[in-house]
Amino acid sequence: MAKRPPITNRVRELREQHGQISQQALGDAVGVTRQTIIAIEQGRYSPSLETSFRIARQFGVGLEDVFGWEGE
Amino acid sequence: MSFREKSAWTMAAVMLVAGIFYAWLVSHGAEAPVIGPLIPYVLLVIVLSVAVQIVLAIASPREAQAAADEREKQIIWRAGHRSGVVLTIGVIASGAVYVLHPFGNMLFHHMLGALIVAQISEYLLQIYYLRRGY
Repeated sequence: MAKRPPITNRVRELREQHGQISQQALGDAVGVTRQTIIAIEQGRYSPSLETSFRIARQFGVGLEDVFGWEGE
Repeated sequence: MSFREKSAWTMAAVMLVAGIFYAWLVSHGAEAPVIGPLIPYVLLVIVLSVAVQIVLAIASPREAQAAADEREKQIIWRAGHRSGVVLTIGVIASGAVYVLHPFGNMLFHHMLGALIVAQISEYLLQIYYLRRGY
């Protein structure tokens, strides 16, 4: 099993808070596939800094409101 | 299943079928010039690859048009890198066989076989990374 990156995120929670925006819609908005959004939400993939900023801006919050370092 | 994964599965199947076909051709004419089995193999790979990609594009036109995203690009790069190791091992093994049995035709067939196995491993690694993450 691949080692999971030590980065947590609140993408699913924020999607639900922002009117149930779908994974496909979020992916389209930030320029990645639905599968990549799923992988991010499941903690199987850490997005690039650019995509992280795009996700945060999509929800109108700061980067650290979306992503965190595990163990903090 | 994502378009990339479907594409990887179908291309792995194409390379496997074409590889078996190539091995069958070689087994029926190892002494013949290498161009004999090579041409039908290349034609089969081209025809099957184009056919499966057309079917996939018709089934998922939107995904087929989309370029690979950052995660998919990393997966494609990593799978290609790892399959290069498979190719290297195959080439070294082919060379070792040639040292023991110096027959040029078989050296060519073994090297092409190594290329086919490496290509199949690349698609299988893409599937693994797409499913498991890394």
